[in-house]
Amino acid sequence: MIDILVFSLVGLGVLFAMIRLLIGPTPADRVVALDTFNIIVIGVIALLAYQFKNSLYLDIAIVYAILAFIETIVFARYLEGNHGDC
Amino acid sequence: MTLINIVEIVVSVLLIALAFLAINSKTLIKSVMFLSSLSMLAVIGFVIMRAPDVAVTEAVIGSGLVTSLFVFTLLAVRKAGKKI
Repeated sequence: MIDILVFSLVGLGVLFAMIRLLIGPTPADRVVALDTFNIIVIGVIALLAYQFKNSLYLDIAIVYAILAFIETIVFARYLEGNHGDC
Repeated sequence: MTLINIVEIVVSVLLIALAFLAINSKTLIKSVMFLSSLSMLAVIGFVIMRAPDVAVTEAVIGSGLVTSLFVFTLLAVRKAGKKI
């Protein structure tokens, strides 16, 4: 019962992050929405590791957390110059 | 229908929507962002299908390597276009 509630709330978060990723007026909005989406995905992987009762899936969450940080840094490097059209 | 099946269906629908958006976006950086979101949802799909090694590989390649390569290529192309 509590699992259904948790996954429904996570799905609501994914929905709102994706709406902001779609209609974000500026590129910075889209990058922040993408970072939020990354964090939600890390949480979903940890929740699935709990759901499957298997701690092997937590390694994926660790690797993905490092790579999500690198990805956000790369997008910030793109936005650093004055490229404003997105 | 269990909880994992419902999560699987939601992830599949989001994968199709993000693939459509990644193809049909106006600007290239928007396409790269949607492609990155697609690869992160593919990681969840592989975790649900109980393939952790494939999920790690997809996370390294799709989210780290391909996104960095595309963004730095866009930067290089923009710089070369400004120089000419």
